[in-house]
Amino acid sequence: MNSVPRETPALLPSGVPEDGPAPRRRPIAVHLIGQNIGLILALAILGLSLIIFVGLFAFEQHRLPGNFEVTSSVNNTMPLALAACGQTLVVLTRGIDLSVGGVVDLTNALAAIFLAGSVLHMIIVSVLILLVGAAAGLVNGLVVGLGRLQPIVVTLATLSIFQGLAIRALPQPGGVVPTGYTAVLVNPNVPTALLFVVLAVLGWMALRRSRLGVAIFAVGNDEQSAVALGIRAVRTKIIAYTLAGTLYAAAGLFLAANATSGDATTGDVYTLTSIVAVVLGGVSLFGGRGSAVGAICGAFITTMIVNILFYAHINPLYQSFYEGLFLVIAVVLGSAVGSFARRGR
Amino acid sequence: MTRLLSPGALRVLAAYGAAVLLFIIGALVHPGFASFSSVTSILLIASFVGLVAAGQCFVILIGGIDLSVPWVLNAAAILVATASLGENARAPYALALTLGMGAGAGVVNGACIVWLGVPAVVMTLAMSGIVEGLALGLSGGMTCAACASYAPPIVRDAVHGVFLGVPAALWLWLVVILVVSFVLSFTRFGRATYAIGNNPRAAFLAGVNVNLTTVALYALSGFFSALAGILLVGFGGQASLGMGAPYLFQSIAAVVIGGVSILGGRGNYLGAAAGSVSLVALVSVLLALNMPDYGRSIIYGLVILALLLLYGREEREQ
Amino acid sequence: MSASPDAPGGPQQAAGPPATGSDDPTVTAIAGRGLSKAFGGVQALRAASFAACAGEVHALVGENGAGKSTFIKLLGGRLQPDSGTILLEDRRIRLSGPADATSRGIGTVFQELTLLPWMSVAENLLIGREPRSSLGLIRRSNLASEAEELLARFGITHIDPRALAAEVSLAERQIIEIARVIIRAPRILLLDEPTSSLVEREVAWLFSRIRELRAAGTAIVFTSHRWNEITSIADRITIFRNGAEVGTFTGIDETEAITLMTGRRVDALYPALPPAPAAASRPPALDLAHAILPGSRPAGSAERAPAELGFSLAPGEILGIGGLAGEGHRELFLGLFGAPPLRRAVIRIDGRPARIAHPSDAIHAGLGIALVPEDRKSEGLLLPLPVRDNLTLPILSRLSFGGVIRSGAERRMTRDIIGSLGIRTPSAAQPVGALSGGNQQKVLVGRWLLAQSRILLLYDVTRGVDVATKHELYELMTRLAGEGRAVLFYSSDTEELAHLCHRVLVLRRGRIAASLAPPALTAEAIVAAAMRETLAV
Repeated sequence: MNSVPRETPALLPSGVPEDGPAPRRRPIAVHLIGQNIGLILALAILGLSLIIFVGLFAFEQHRLPGNFEVTSSVNNTMPLALAACGQTLVVLTRGIDLSVGGVVDLTNALAAIFLAGSVLHMIIVSVLILLVGAAAGLVNGLVVGLGRLQPIVVTLATLSIFQGLAIRALPQPGGVVPTGYTAVLVNPNVPTALLFVVLAVLGWMALRRSRLGVAIFAVGNDEQSAVALGIRAVRTKIIAYTLAGTLYAAAGLFLAANATSGDATTGDVYTLTSIVAVVLGGVSLFGGRGSAVGAICGAFITTMIVNILFYAHINPLYQSFYEGLFLVIAVVLGSAVGSFARRGR
Repeated sequence: MTRLLSPGALRVLAAYGAAVLLFIIGALVHPGFASFSSVTSILLIASFVGLVAAGQCFVILIGGIDLSVPWVLNAAAILVATASLGENARAPYALALTLGMGAGAGVVNGACIVWLGVPAVVMTLAMSGIVEGLALGLSGGMTCAACASYAPPIVRDAVHGVFLGVPAALWLWLVVILVVSFVLSFTRFGRATYAIGNNPRAAFLAGVNVNLTTVALYALSGFFSALAGILLVGFGGQASLGMGAPYLFQSIAAVVIGGVSILGGRGNYLGAAAGSVSLVALVSVLLALNMPDYGRSIIYGLVILALLLLYGREEREQ
Repeated sequence: MSASPDAPGGPQQAAGPPATGSDDPTVTAIAGRGLSKAFGGVQALRAASFAACAGEVHALVGENGAGKSTFIKLLGGRLQPDSGTILLEDRRIRLSGPADATSRGIGTVFQELTLLPWMSVAENLLIGREPRSSLGLIRRSNLASEAEELLARFGITHIDPRALAAEVSLAERQIIEIARVIIRAPRILLLDEPTSSLVEREVAWLFSRIRELRAAGTAIVFTSHRWNEITSIADRITIFRNGAEVGTFTGIDETEAITLMTGRRVDALYPALPPAPAAASRPPALDLAHAILPGSRPAGSAERAPAELGFSLAPGEILGIGGLAGEGHRELFLGLFGAPPLRRAVIRIDGRPARIAHPSDAIHAGLGIALVPEDRKSEGLLLPLPVRDNLTLPILSRLSFGGVIRSGAERRMTRDIIGSLGIRTPSAAQPVGALSGGNQQKVLVGRWLLAQSRILLLYDVTRGVDVATKHELYELMTRLAGEGRAVLFYSSDTEELAHLCHRVLVLRRGRIAASLAPPALTAEAIVAAAMRETLAV
């Protein structure tokens, strides 16, 4: 490379006269905003929903939301936030994971059964449960990656399998989660669970700056090109699904800690709500674009919407209606703003 | 027949083969499983899945999906009962209203997907919530005065009535199979559907009205979900909350193991119908084996995976 | 050691690497011996052999389907040969994949660009060699500046490294792809159609880089369909035909080369033009007025309103549209077809006003407009569907009764057109993707003949097409015009425009910069008009 002379004449784009000035560059801020518009919108919507919630709450209760409201909101959102992070990894590779609910069911059940005894014992059980989630994800990844089957149908099938295993483990709701465990994960008095959110964000930032992260994004952008560039697409997908499974297991642990007992079916709902959170977070369902931070925002937005509907005294029977309507409006607005931000060449 | 290309025909035959195999296994395990009445009752249950799968087949063929199935079905069941108040006199009105509701939900789905650019997964998921909210809200959580109504007798007869020894609903499904297959294979609309599923841009540049066809396909999906809801309430008598939930994943599974590519452009309804029968037969065999429900879930998932691995694979691109 | 087209005594054959007695001691840098590769039932390469030496530029030429791209993919590790060996400096090697080839110093720019669209130019450039911190994590903040520096070293200053790959033009993407490879200073550089999207200035830049690399001892292999490029840069030329090499030359005449490539004599590259239609004897087949194309907004404040564009096209006339890419051509062609329509434009067909809001309007109702897009695989044909479906898709309304297709009529029509165009296919039910490229193009044209189109919009239909098929297309075009059809023809090849059209309109910034007719109609005049500033109106 040192043999290339510095006096290489500049290559100008066609249409520009030889002696003309170099074309103007767009300011860096424009690029940053345009390329992260999904995350920015998610943060904006989250902020807006917080403001509305605080306003409604204050109007209703004549005080600002206190420790209890914040803590319970955060604790209730933790499982979804983690599940959404896992779903993000899969969606980034241009896949979709319908087995989320099954893994959450299974790990929730196992947690309620086996968490007991000494701190060391509970730590070991937690690690093993995370490994169960990883194994579930590994199965998904192997079938999708090596079997060359579409993710939606593979995870549709494994959903059944994991749900079955969950019911086998815990046929009736029961089991107990020790209060100490709950206190660590989803402390009911202080929103310490936010620390775990921070951990997740840090983990995401590290992933983004790692070879694996680049590979995940590349595979989601264009798998053929990624392979031509030397990226091992199959291996990347297997790892992505495995990591996702681990995150679903973590969601199951938080769900168990929050509910303090187990139920092999309460996790079902996380399949579709994790997709909603991911979409609200600005992650593209076509792969290659998006941020887990956005997905976490999406999870919190979901909780805020429920809170807002409650404090606005909306008939709870109509809750789904407003949630569905909100989802469509958010997506339409998001893509409108996104395309507006990207225009202007 | 262009739609029965060798690999495609093979997939459909395999789906039917799987169904037959399951009946044989059932008969071995449980004498009387393959009796006429047992087979027809299994086919009757399969027809409900099959009707939903018809709608799902239409949208999957263009690479879309309809996640609003559960609540369109449920809302249709509630609507036909409450609008008819269980009387035949009001049945035509109730049926028209209900089928119109289903098609209407589909039109909204299709329109937002086409003109607002909302991805199909998101739009139909949102529509599911919207319909759920409306159904629960307007019926007061099924506590309204009219909510305890039964389906009108004509609908109940359409399901339970017997014609030439076979339940009337099966005849209806047969008609649906013939009509849908005919439409997909021999009409302009069917050609347009396959063209869009293969390459929307090229289809557009060949004069196909991609937007209107897409909206029509989602309308059909909503229509069939509503039809399934009507027949289900005719079967069971009364509507209940959550009755549509199992049909979402079952309809998708039926379509895929019937050889329709989830990416679109390939497959036909004959296969999806076979897939419906196979799935219901599988569950029935497992019930006949007295398998506990966790075992049924696990084996159900494993069998679907196995069938997919056997002949549902996408070719590797060179 | 450039190949000289006027070398006396005809083609100068070079048998294998130049004799060791020549000036520069040359080493075979990379070679393939007896390579064979088949795809499905098609034998792409039959025991083909080829060698390139260090410090030379070796061009690979041949028709589409001759095996050049396949050979490059084998040397670049993208594909595995069915048989034969690859030698790197006379050592047999086995390439396990593109990454393996890269690590051995083989840099390849494939025809299909491998840029990741939603990642930035900087991320694409530096993939696999990003700047890292002490923790081993990528320094994302340094990506743009490092990319900027690397690009500047190769004289590229106008591409913003922060832009997404999807946001830059096709030419810029091709340049980035090339830059990504030459940054790694490969010992062997393989380029498959590197100039297909580049204009002259960018091609000159590429050739400067190639000359620098050659001086540094790199072996460069490249394929191209543009003969003037090959003659200006290549030291040796190897011709492929039907999956095997035909010969290697240091100097060869274009006509001789075409003969070797096609296996038959091609006396004239362009067929005779039918006579220009008599002036205004009938209403024009197509008359366009008040069209506003993108890019027609005035640059300065001299003009207040965007210029409107309009022209007439007579039956039997071949009207060429020239100019640099991106000056509104695509929008013009798509707009005339209703995909999407041109706002505020007034279109008259045969003198009667026509409303074209959607391609179906253009195709039907007596308008009879056909659009043949440049990329038949992604925009024209539906590859997995049968030939019959592809042929009749636009005219299904005429073939149906009450929505149901009359299969007897359809079968007859498709049989007739397959016969008259000589489309080689086992049956009309064969998926069109299984046909050869030339036959696929015939299906596309056949479709519009079946639709009885009278106005043909041909958009760059000869790009990336081999010589023999190009010739067939030229003949078809002139024949159709001779039958009274009107043809609007856009090509990025100015020689084609000069030889095949009765008239050429050169577009610049969405307006007509020049209208050229013989004798002023030459390739040079088209280029000059495309580059010159628009004359003030």
